Amino acid sequence: MSTDTGQKRVAIMVGAGYIPGINAVVAGASLAAGKLGWELLGILDGFEGLLHPEKYPNGGLIPIDPQKFNIDPNTGSVLGQSSRIDPFNVRTINELGMVEEVDMSDELLTRLKAENIDAVISIVGGRGLSILYQLHKKGLNAVCVPRSIENDIASTSVAFGFNTALTFTIEMLDRARLAAKAAQKIAVVEVLGEEAGWIALQAGIAVAADAVLIPEIPVDLQHVVTHLKNKMSGKKSWGLVVVAQGAKIINPGKTEEKVSTLKASLSPLATSDSNSEFVIHKSGQVAQAVAEGLQLRIAEETFPMVIGPWVRGGTPSAVDRQLGVAYGAGAIQALEAGRNGVMVAFVPPDVKFVPLAEAINKVRTIPTGSMFFQVADSLGIYVGNKEA
Amino acid sequence: MTDKPKNILDITGTVLNIQRYCSHDGPGTRTTVFVKGCSLRCKWCGNPESIRMKPEVSYDPNKCDGKKCSICLKAPFPEGGFYFVEGDDSKVKVNWTLAAGINQEIVSLCPTGALEMFGKTMTVGEVMDEVEKDTSIYRNTGGGMTISGGEVMLQPDFAAALLQEAHNRGINTAIETASNAPWSFLEKVLPHVDTMLHDIKLMNSERHKKWTGVSNERILANLKKAYETFPDTDFIARTPLIPGVNADDEHMLGVLEFIKPHKNVIDYELLPYHRFGLGKYDSLGVIYELDDYKTPSDEVVKRFQTMIDKAFGRELTTE
Repeated sequence: MSTDTGQKRVAIMVGAGYIPGINAVVAGASLAAGKLGWELLGILDGFEGLLHPEKYPNGGLIPIDPQKFNIDPNTGSVLGQSSRIDPFNVRTINELGMVEEVDMSDELLTRLKAENIDAVISIVGGRGLSILYQLHKKGLNAVCVPRSIENDIASTSVAFGFNTALTFTIEMLDRARLAAKAAQKIAVVEVLGEEAGWIALQAGIAVAADAVLIPEIPVDLQHVVTHLKNKMSGKKSWGLVVVAQGAKIINPGKTEEKVSTLKASLSPLATSDSNSEFVIHKSGQVAQAVAEGLQLRIAEETFPMVIGPWVRGGTPSAVDRQLGVAYGAGAIQALEAGRNGVMVAFVPPDVKFVPLAEAINKVRTIPTGSMFFQVADSLGIYVGNKEA
Repeated sequence: MTDKPKNILDITGTVLNIQRYCSHDGPGTRTTVFVKGCSLRCKWCGNPESIRMKPEVSYDPNKCDGKKCSICLKAPFPEGGFYFVEGDDSKVKVNWTLAAGINQEIVSLCPTGALEMFGKTMTVGEVMDEVEKDTSIYRNTGGGMTISGGEVMLQPDFAAALLQEAHNRGINTAIETASNAPWSFLEKVLPHVDTMLHDIKLMNSERHKKWTGVSNERILANLKKAYETFPDTDFIARTPLIPGVNADDEHMLGVLEFIKPHKNVIDYELLPYHRFGLGKYDSLGVIYELDDYKTPSDEVVKRFQTMIDKAFGRELTTE
């Protein structure tokens, strides 16, 4: 509880899943809070530690002492693993033994009050921002730290986690390129990027891929084929195509299995026969579709590879580590400055505080005029921005 | 609590969909009434729109007119519930957190039908009007009406009334259920059921809890009691077959051992897992938890079907 001297009791929590650099954020917040004489507590497993403290021997809240906190990036998340953080839809079993989702946002705010917690720092991605915005509108003092492997959170130049993913992706693409060259084949490598193609494009540039397919630009595979054939007309008889998970492929050749949303609700034995195009892009699916589509039109053998999920673990890169520490400290600075309902954002050269209302409902995609497209073009990388 | 309607036809329930000409939901050709609300959270669920009891909004971008329309960006649509991504194509995106709570009245303002509500309140009379349209087909094929879900046992009064009314009109009845409900609910519904198709998803209780959200003790107890209490009802056990979840000998043998002593369990059907639900999860903003599992191979299905056929004393039904 805030004291007359302005000391605060602040909690920090993390949204779903591990992302490299979480501990750096906690360390930054811990050190900055300690310097102010504030108390920092960690909520375990999203909000679970507060909503269901009985599940935890220590009550679900752990003190984070700046003197004792170990910044070791190899220990996973000190705040545990959470699959869900939405207090408006908490899965529970009711008195009749039936599973249901209930709104526990009021209980959450009550618990925070009972614990004398003045504010919550939340390390969240896109959907988490909306949830925290809703909680903020209900009275929660919240400061968000943007986390995103794909760097698709708008209002910040970079979310932590992205640089580690990019670094690892480049390392893996180097290996894929060598494998393709050794085998004299065309490697089609899928990387993360459901809505934004930052990883695909930046990594593709770094390894001088032959083509990069991203969600921002729908691509006709025939154009990719033309480009590959042009590049492979000399001595080169291998290729490297980087595909973001959410790439939009026109005319893939072998079509993906159609998902019948109507038939699905009819009978578990129904067969898929609808014309619906609306399917979730699953890991490996687009690499498979592109590799098969290219194979129909090109002589050289193609083979799909998937890097996707591998980048979600591991040790944070140097950039993510310092960014995480800065974001953690920035969150405390926001609270010290009396700001809440904001997201800490890196807007070079400054760390700024963006209102959550402005941070939500935006996806940071690659803008049409990005210099990355020009760079890719000058390197002979087909990105689909024009016909090959 | 509101008073129960005196007339059975006025009892209401939440219905997701009524589908005519179904051939896999019981004997003959049937009309299947899908009710909304489920008491389990199976990670492979192919019908996510049936999970929650209350009506909820869904979004199909294929029908969206995007920036040409933009009606959902303004009141009375919830602030921040719908938005566009800069540089993206013209389709609206949904902020499922902020769009929650939207009602039918607002959804109906969407001119293209991209937004629609899953689930509506219907009376027994209204449902029966639809079901009765195919009475002659039921007669010719030995079919009738099936209530599926969701979970039929979540609306026991509505289900019992519907089934009773079907019987009153000479229509054969069936239900599809996972049986995770108090026995009193089953006791209310089952007297009006000719055939009960019921899942046995996992025999191992811990694994059942892991994959569906609850343990299976009550389900198995309910089934055993149902077999014994309603000897004239036909029971058909079913397992949605999923590699890595339950496509193993231990489960198959466990189910066969469980149902074998009961002569009114007339069959055990395998439902090879399919991935039809994926698109629907996206349209509801729900996270699909089983995205990396595959449909069981023909070999796996054949292996278990052989075990079932043998247990039921049948010639092999598979090639």
